[in-house]
Amino acid sequence: MTATLTPPDAAEVQLAESRKDRRRRERLEERDGVIPVQLYGLKRGTVSVMTICCVLFAIFTLVPIAWIIINSTKTQANIFGTFGFWFARPFELFHNFRMLFEDVDDDGTYINWFGNTALYAVLGGVGATALAAFAGYGFARFQFRGSKVFFYIVIGALLVPIGAITLPLYLVYAKAHLINSIWGMILPSLVSPVGVYLMRTYIGLSVPRELIDAARIDGAGETRIFFRIALPLMVPGLMTVLLLSVVGVWNNYFLPLIIFSNNNLFPLTVGMGLWSQHATTSGDQNLYPLIVMGGLVTIAPLIILFLILQRYWRGGMLLGSIAN
Amino acid sequence: MAAITLSELTKVYATGVKALDSLDLEVADGEFVVLVGPSGCGKTTALRMVAGLELITSGTVSFGDRVVNGVSPRHRDVAMVFQNYALYPHLSVYQNIGFALENKKVAKAERDRRIRDAAAILGLTKLLGRKPQQLSGGQRQRVAMGRAIVREPSVFLMDEPLSNLDAKLRVQMRSEVLRIHESVGAATMYVTHDQTEAMTMGDRVAVLQGGVLQQYDTPRSLYDHPANVFVATFIGSPAMNLYEAGLEAAGPAGTPTVVLGSQRLELPAPAAVRVAAFGGRKVLVGIRPEDLTVTGSGSVLVADVRFIEVLGSEQHVYFSIDATRAGAGGGGTAVVADESAEASILLGSAPNGAARLDPRVAVQPGGRITFTLDPARLYFFDPDTGQAITG
Repeated sequence: MTATLTPPDAAEVQLAESRKDRRRRERLEERDGVIPVQLYGLKRGTVSVMTICCVLFAIFTLVPIAWIIINSTKTQANIFGTFGFWFARPFELFHNFRMLFEDVDDDGTYINWFGNTALYAVLGGVGATALAAFAGYGFARFQFRGSKVFFYIVIGALLVPIGAITLPLYLVYAKAHLINSIWGMILPSLVSPVGVYLMRTYIGLSVPRELIDAARIDGAGETRIFFRIALPLMVPGLMTVLLLSVVGVWNNYFLPLIIFSNNNLFPLTVGMGLWSQHATTSGDQNLYPLIVMGGLVTIAPLIILFLILQRYWRGGMLLGSIAN
Repeated sequence: MAAITLSELTKVYATGVKALDSLDLEVADGEFVVLVGPSGCGKTTALRMVAGLELITSGTVSFGDRVVNGVSPRHRDVAMVFQNYALYPHLSVYQNIGFALENKKVAKAERDRRIRDAAAILGLTKLLGRKPQQLSGGQRQRVAMGRAIVREPSVFLMDEPLSNLDAKLRVQMRSEVLRIHESVGAATMYVTHDQTEAMTMGDRVAVLQGGVLQQYDTPRSLYDHPANVFVATFIGSPAMNLYEAGLEAAGPAGTPTVVLGSQRLELPAPAAVRVAAFGGRKVLVGIRPEDLTVTGSGSVLVADVRFIEVLGSEQHVYFSIDATRAGAGGGGTAVVADESAEASILLGSAPNGAARLDPRVAVQPGGRITFTLDPARLYFFDPDTGQAITG
């Protein structure tokens, strides 16, 4: 191994571009990609109508969020007594926030529920994502007896509404002593048919068989191929599944409602529901500002999570792997 | 002893499709063998069975005297270059090349040395830190080669490694691949559908069609002594002209004659002996385009010129004669063209032959041309079996 073949061509000498340069290039490329609507063969009027529709829809979606942000700054009297979509004195945002984390009554505290929700969401979400990755890889890249049938069962599970299985689930839980146990919440959260389905599809598109074959030829075992070759290519898909599962567990109301009777195990959804009930039955408790603020704090982590994970949707992981 | 031996290797898919039918093939140590054939001929399937990526229906694959049928690909110690390169997109060039050594738990210093040696051979040293997506097609191709040679394998498999490169780079890489082969010295199986690659690169070439081995020989003999109609027309460009012809038995004059449409070619003694058994019967006659000249001596063949392709160094003259053209059918057999159907589509202007001439020879499309050819250079095939008549 001493002979040297053709010298590298000029392009090879150019160093890899820095991150800053790449951002700049991407921004400029994006600008180059902007094409006047006429070139799409669309009339100006059509574009305006569509733009107006989009704006209206955006307003429709954003209005509740605006309401919750504005009203989290108000006192109970102002929530009911002032215009809902504008601020009113006194500005109580920080007061409301502080109150949220103080023991309001004997129902259990917000911070406790928040911790419960975070625990269920992280364990359930991460677990569901891991299982979806394994199962999706298995379905996408291995042929085994019954693989089709099992996959149809997974797809079938997509169609079963959670409400339909809650009662049988409750009966099973009662027998298995899972009522008032955090495992009762986490175990069902680990199973994500949507996740398995999404991962199978994603792996089918983003982890080519040839790469797996190449790794086998290179002497890697199946476990190593999964973790070293396939998993890094699955990251954008995994992030989607992670987000969906975390949001699913975070927002789950019905399951914890039936399996928990102990206030200390409640997640935010059920806890906030309890507050809401108290507020309507005993109107004098000054609970409404806390409910509004609690709602805001409940959705904030999901929004932050979404913003963190969205960079993984850039895609393009496979560029350069396969010719053309 | 052969480095790779395929014995009655057969692949039948669950759908009942027979991709490979009882393939026997030996590759000697250090030999470069090319598997060539049209798409779907089973060549890639054969290669994947050698690699262990495809289940063997029956027959055996042996490395040396060890049957490896039941050995997983990771334990076969073969290196393979894939058609699409199959580089790991998230790993750098350095990691791509070193992945196999990492799996083998080769010590880090040794690994580093071997990766850098391979990179030096391939001119990749400056690119070791790059990701595949930052490389050009030719560079990716070389990384794929590097990943294979770093293993110092005893068996080297390549599945159409040059088919994704542009024409110029492909020609350049042909010689690079051969040089790498010489420095690695491993028994190599190289799959391609490109007969030029097969002819220029292979020590021996296996021609496959429909999962059946047609001929396994050196490029020279494939060209000079094709075993059947398929090999005769597959190897060579433009393809060999093949016509249905009558063979008149030796008359009182003592020389048998080939009747090609309305024209007659007298056969000299050696060729006459070869086809003696077919006297009075139909045969298929093959003429290589370069055996038709306008300057030499020999028998005369008159044809109508249809059109001309000037390639600079030579010109291809497409002509028609009033003989029935034949071609290759399945399993090396011959098919005689249905002249009437063809004529009705092309209004009778379709050429049924090609000649390769010096570009300075003046030829007019629509004109008439008189070729001379040495009858000793004619090829004869049995019209029923498609097999060459060797006498």
